[in-house]
Amino acid sequence: MGQINLPNNSKVTKGKYFKDKTGSKNLRKINVYRWDPSIGKNPRIDTYEVDMDNCPSKVLDILNKIKNEIDPTLTYRRSCAHGVCGSCAMNIGGKNGLACTTPHSQINGDIDIYPLPHLKVKKDLIGDLDGLYKQYQSIEPWLKSNSKSETKEIIQSKKDRAKLDGAYECIMCACCSTSCPSYWWNGDKYLGPAVLLQAYRWIVDSRDEERTARLKKVADELKLYRCHTILNCTSACPKGLNPAKAIAEIKKMLATANI
Amino acid sequence: MENKTPLSPHIQIYKWHISSLVSISHRITGIINIIVITFVCLLASLLVFGENNYEFMNLFLSSLIGKFFILGITWSFSFQILSEIRHLIMDLGYGFNLKVTKISGLIVIIGSIVLTVVFYLIGKNIF
Repeated sequence: MGQINLPNNSKVTKGKYFKDKTGSKNLRKINVYRWDPSIGKNPRIDTYEVDMDNCPSKVLDILNKIKNEIDPTLTYRRSCAHGVCGSCAMNIGGKNGLACTTPHSQINGDIDIYPLPHLKVKKDLIGDLDGLYKQYQSIEPWLKSNSKSETKEIIQSKKDRAKLDGAYECIMCACCSTSCPSYWWNGDKYLGPAVLLQAYRWIVDSRDEERTARLKKVADELKLYRCHTILNCTSACPKGLNPAKAIAEIKKMLATANI
Repeated sequence: MENKTPLSPHIQIYKWHISSLVSISHRITGIINIIVITFVCLLASLLVFGENNYEFMNLFLSSLIGKFFILGITWSFSFQILSEIRHLIMDLGYGFNLKVTKISGLIVIIGSIVLTVVFYLIGKNIF
């Protein structure tokens, strides 16, 4: 069981208040988590008054507006702005999602923006995902087909290809893994929904020849069975995928496969 | 430097929804049930030591705290059973659709209260 309270150096304090300078009547308060490694103080929540009359529809547009017009020191990851790259994953209004695909009209009242939960913060809204990428590497997410020719195409039936639907679309934004309480408390051992969904994607791939070895690898109390179907992952996924179901499928395979 | 890096807020800020509530309640009621079973066993073994103990138990169980205790146990067991059935169905790979999980979660919450009332009425010999 992990620590429920935040450590002392992570307790959030009240920060600066940026009053609106445009004179707009349609204002919205945006509370943003800020932490600057060069200052070394506790993280704080800065509040920005943003003119919503001149702001496009998504949460990322608000952040861009703040960065461009109010406070250029605000730091966050973003790239494609179309929900494909997964860079702008963050906690918006208490729920993980991509800032670029989350409409701000969906959220009532002030908008709270935090980095993805239970990560080491690098700066402001940027969390350290190194651990997750290492776990991703550990499941060896590539095709293993040793007996077949490397130059010849491996043919897959439409039915087998359909098994990958709902798994291959994952963009590894980490919204699901960082929403999972089990991953918060056991993130060092439990693989988490994102990585397990990818593990599943390679286990069910008909072209892969190391299915049994892959299954054996994840068959571990901590790596796999820390999933208690809390379903934060599925409700957080910005691509509408279902990691919880994939994990249940892996558990089912292990229960029936006699490995 | 490494130690100074803060941990981003997690359970403090994350929004609750029905599935996460049912999941945490499942754990809590599970712990309560284990304690309660131990307690009931202790009470039962008390009976072995004579009539006076029976009087004492009767007094306890008919007091307000005792009644609350019994109702609490009934709810806790009802919740645990319904939630366990939900988990079993999920273990078979069904009911992972977000809408379905919401409905099944609601069934567990409302069902546990209904079951508690039903057991209470049975106890009162109303049926």
